[in-house]
Amino acid sequence: MVVIKHKIADGISLNIIETDKFKTNYIAVNLLTALDKKTAAYKALLPAVLKRGTVNYPDMAALNRRYDMLYSTHINTRCFKRGETHIFGFSAHMLDNRFVLDGTDIVSETLSLIAEIMFSPALSDGCFSSVYVESEKKNLIDLIKSKINNKNSYAVLRCQEEMCRGEVFAVSEDGTVEDVEAITPQSLFDFYKEIINRAQIEIYFVGKYDNNLLVEKVRNAFSPIRHVSGFVPYTEVIRNADTVREVSEEQPVTQGKLSLGFRSGAVLSDGDYEKFIMFSEIFGGSPSSKLFMNVREKLSLCYYCHAIPDAHKGIMIVASGIEVDKKEIAQDEILLQLENIRRGDFTEDEYEAAKKSIINGYRSITDSASGLVSWFLGRKLADIEISPEKAINLIEKVTKNDIVEAAKKVTLDTVYFMRGTLKESGENKNDD
Amino acid sequence: MMTEKIIVKENDFLGEKYYYTKHSSGLDIYVFPKALTTSYALFGTRYGSIDNKFKLAGDDEYTVVPDGIAHFLEHKMFENENGEDTFLRYAKTGASANAYTSFNMTAYLFSCTERFYESLEILLDFVSNPYFTPETVKKEQGIIAQEIRMGEDNPGRCIIFDLLKAMYENHTIRIEIAGTVNSISKITSDILYKCYNAFYNLHNMALCVCGDVSVDKTLETADRILKAQPDFDVQSIYEPEKREVVKPYVTRKMQVAKPLFNIGIKDTDISPDPRERMKKNAVISILDDMLFGRAGEFYNELYSDGLISESFGYWSEHNKSFSFVSVSGESDNPSEVYTRFKKYIASCLEKGLSAEDFERCKRVSYAAFIKGFDSTDTIANSFLNFIFDDGDMLDFADIISAVTYNDVNETLHGMYREECFSLATIFPLD
Repeated sequence: MVVIKHKIADGISLNIIETDKFKTNYIAVNLLTALDKKTAAYKALLPAVLKRGTVNYPDMAALNRRYDMLYSTHINTRCFKRGETHIFGFSAHMLDNRFVLDGTDIVSETLSLIAEIMFSPALSDGCFSSVYVESEKKNLIDLIKSKINNKNSYAVLRCQEEMCRGEVFAVSEDGTVEDVEAITPQSLFDFYKEIINRAQIEIYFVGKYDNNLLVEKVRNAFSPIRHVSGFVPYTEVIRNADTVREVSEEQPVTQGKLSLGFRSGAVLSDGDYEKFIMFSEIFGGSPSSKLFMNVREKLSLCYYCHAIPDAHKGIMIVASGIEVDKKEIAQDEILLQLENIRRGDFTEDEYEAAKKSIINGYRSITDSASGLVSWFLGRKLADIEISPEKAINLIEKVTKNDIVEAAKKVTLDTVYFMRGTLKESGENKNDD
Repeated sequence: MMTEKIIVKENDFLGEKYYYTKHSSGLDIYVFPKALTTSYALFGTRYGSIDNKFKLAGDDEYTVVPDGIAHFLEHKMFENENGEDTFLRYAKTGASANAYTSFNMTAYLFSCTERFYESLEILLDFVSNPYFTPETVKKEQGIIAQEIRMGEDNPGRCIIFDLLKAMYENHTIRIEIAGTVNSISKITSDILYKCYNAFYNLHNMALCVCGDVSVDKTLETADRILKAQPDFDVQSIYEPEKREVVKPYVTRKMQVAKPLFNIGIKDTDISPDPRERMKKNAVISILDDMLFGRAGEFYNELYSDGLISESFGYWSEHNKSFSFVSVSGESDNPSEVYTRFKKYIASCLEKGLSAEDFERCKRVSYAAFIKGFDSTDTIANSFLNFIFDDGDMLDFADIISAVTYNDVNETLHGMYREECFSLATIFPLD
């Protein structure tokens, strides 16, 4: 898999990943900016407001009917962070033209529609409609508040927030309730006019289309904007934790959620990140990893216990759901398994298994259009150009000693525990 | 190699085909070649959480087993008599393995990018060789108890089972798939063996492999591992279920940011003819998009009025043992959503549906179906679902295109009756 890069204009690139193995094509338009507390809520809100209506499709019903007529090509908003880069924009997954029954050129029509959403929004009195802005503010606030509904992801998020408090990384890609509330239609519109010309725009296309024609169509689609400056991604990396901080919160749930936050001492841009990846795989990357085999299978303490590495920020969260009174046992066992790897206490089988598992994962990425975009966009942010296939060669070369050294760089920073206060399930059940 | 008749089924328009054979062991084997990097295998049995009461050949009495046993069995299959964990066996080939239990099936799977037949051998071998002891059962009770707790703290999951319990009186779909901490404490190795021997008969199972795979090598592997089995003769007992819901409304409080609602439309009109069921599946999917799709009146009016948000969604199930539609989301005012839902349905019933909407939504169903052919994982899982309902995935595009406006109208009038609606809500704690 290779990426063919075309410069569309200053600050705007089209990256084509050509393949004919799918029945679909995929387009993602990514606006890259520095993560920042003042503007995070704006970046989360903007795509949602733009998606409410355009000049030609003035409301959501009209736009959604258009998506349906384009064989259910929904233009989806995206908003996430990679390290301390805030990425937002749109994506669409569409049928390839050969399955279209009425002769429509779906790629071309989808590009036009994305451009219309981005550059020709429905306006009232020269500004975003206050009805749309207020409605999407409420939805965004609800989304922020609803994060607590999913306890698994919430406990990981809270650990990251506590661990990185005071660092830019602690800023949520969705902003805070207060920041969203403060946005007005005018302030959002001013922000829009500025960011659309200032963010670096990375467009990805995965699929099969006439490349020259695609470049031309993208150039036309993005002609309304004039770029002013380049963006250079930067993420603050703290390589060591000095002391361990304990944070405990009570929640009215039955289970306890334990999240151990580590500084991994390694990031993708280091150039030898595969050493850390091999370590985290052996530690807690699969059902044959040390965490799964010991914390779950041997001690029967949990249903899930795994390591979630962040390649850009250089942190790793070990996440688990346990009985509330088993917190100490689980934590001790997780740390013991880390210590074992540091001492080189892992077998040839574990080493080979980790290698195979990562290689299998890397190869599988080439079967997923969105997976490919995520891979290449992530590498671009780290300023390295490498395909999943090439990265496999690097994994092959990692030695056992490299893994021990990678493990020694990992330090525990924050222990987050969500203490469930409900004794027995069923106490708030209405039936049976 | 043992000779078996191999049937090829091809769909030229889709550019897809599969091979089928009834293996001498009794197993139905489907090979779906696909030029992708990842190959996928799915080995499933027609046995899920709804099968809690059954009768073996020659038995006078029914056997009733604890809730959650199909799921428990799925977990326990990963342990082997020689003490080796199945995940560690797969670790040697690099395959990524998993399993799941649903209402009506248990399936074991792996995906890989090399050494496919070695992994296939592991899959066929461990699922054919049960090994349970009181000690390993006890160990699993701890793990599954945590899985159950996780589900009990998950409002999205809770509301689905609240809804199913409100809709169904007798049907075992109302049982939680993983059971409860209490019900699984009653599971013993003897009961596990009994269920295994009853339902893990190769005649009751199917294997679907998809990817860069060959029929010959797949059959060679099956020849090596699988032994001929006697005919399947187990009778699952499902109680009759009346058409109306048991309770029109259920609610509870949990830690959520905002109230959740889930509206259920119960349907007992299920044809014994598999082709009719495939057709009704297509009809329901088109009808759902017409009624609740993002281009439609209901979604847009409620969204504009701030009653629903992006979290709004709907899905349906229609197979030989159950059929329902679920319409769910978050709202500050679930009872207003429900009132508007009933009003909207009443007006659709009275005024009829738009023919233009029908054509548009038919196109949506067609596109969604085609998009499913880009991953070996999606193909294999979807394929087995069709097979277990005696259908055929490669016929589905034609079935969608044959659906008429009248079909959709008829289903609307047949299904959408107020006595078949339930509303489940979850409100935040005080």
